[in-house]
Amino acid sequence: MTTVNQTATAPATDAPSDDAPAVLAEISRMLRTMLDEYGLDDIEVTMETRFTQDLELESIDLVALASGLEARYGRQVNFAEFVAGLELDEIIDLAVGQLVEYVVRSLRAAGES
Amino acid sequence: MAMIDTGRDTCDGTNSGTGSGTGSGTGDDADHATDHDGPDTGPDGVRLHVQRLSPPDGRPPTAIAVLIHGLLTDSLASWYFTVAPGLAAAGLEVVMYDQRGHGRSERPGSGYRLDTFVTDLERLLDRLDIAGPVHLVGNCFGGTVAFAYAMRHPERVAGIAVIEAQPATESWLTEISGILRRVVAELVVHEAESLAWVSANRGAHTARLAKSAARLVRTTTIAEDVPESRVVSEEQIGAVRCPVLAVYGADSELAGQERWLESVLPGTRTVVLPGQGHSVLAEAPTRIRELLLSWIHGCDPATGVLGTGAPAVDAPLEADAS
Repeated sequence: MTTVNQTATAPATDAPSDDAPAVLAEISRMLRTMLDEYGLDDIEVTMETRFTQDLELESIDLVALASGLEARYGRQVNFAEFVAGLELDEIIDLAVGQLVEYVVRSLRAAGES
Repeated sequence: MAMIDTGRDTCDGTNSGTGSGTGSGTGDDADHATDHDGPDTGPDGVRLHVQRLSPPDGRPPTAIAVLIHGLLTDSLASWYFTVAPGLAAAGLEVVMYDQRGHGRSERPGSGYRLDTFVTDLERLLDRLDIAGPVHLVGNCFGGTVAFAYAMRHPERVAGIAVIEAQPATESWLTEISGILRRVVAELVVHEAESLAWVSANRGAHTARLAKSAARLVRTTTIAEDVPESRVVSEEQIGAVRCPVLAVYGADSELAGQERWLESVLPGTRTVVLPGQGHSVLAEAPTRIRELLLSWIHGCDPATGVLGTGAPAVDAPLEADAS
């Protein structure tokens, strides 16, 4: 029953879709809001875009992104669990696509159970 | 000295995650650090970004651990991406927050003496309605905050575990003041060159953190305020009654600190990790997590007294601690 104020994300009312393009669009939207806060220009976000290298995000921004994902998709998307299996260097080096794939996997696993 | 006012909320992290999820406390987002470049004009009730991780499956936590990060380049991410998920999985309620000026917390223009950081923690725990004794876990400056909080509120602390940290002694003040002077000289005065060097030698992410640190030093009075912090005497440190664990890297500049701490505060459990430097939390998270779990579960959470009588040097690790 985690309640999260919609912050970095504008409220999304439609039911979340578990296909990769839809998840990518959702994550892109969250990232653009975040980049906008930093006064950075719009950057096209693709599956290959890397959080630190390409978007200049800090590790704390990934924590905020995790909150946004949970607000959008619920607890089945557990970012803390996802990163628990990664080294710090790997987390910093994450590409958007890896996160998209994780979200898709989590949503499908939850849908099947 | 800017003091936190008594009326306003100091954090917006009132959401708690249950289960294994995270709770976000980013509030209405009007108060992100990026929105607070201007000088602080009034008494500051700053908004602090909070994240919580709870034991899985709604299990009641065995203890509450509050994780406090370090100065300048640090944020709660340093816990979130290292030991925090493992601590929650092992049964702890984990509370992390960005200290003022850091991460996604508000960055007031002034108010950065140690006492103010301690008051932030005080108000944060009040605001989150955490009344019982907590375990404070501090990295570097976060450890200094933990010591100071334990001195101010002995009844609210079950134990403190510090990593690469020391209490606010005269020598701590001298060292941190020197570091801040160097940061001002290198990062602020020659920011572009310094960042280029950091980027080339330490990678893009460290450079990004250094950029945030430069902004913090440039837009606030932190470099003047921290050196004006009140120091504590050895007698005051010796009066700390809760169990204390202090971890150092053998190759850190703080190596040797453990012997001093043992002499001032007998009963302190100290651990020196060979081959590790100051960034031991990032470099050896598994070892740190094991030490913390063993330590926290060796303390009686109700009283903060060590359960076995002796310091929990060889307390068995929980089954899922490794």
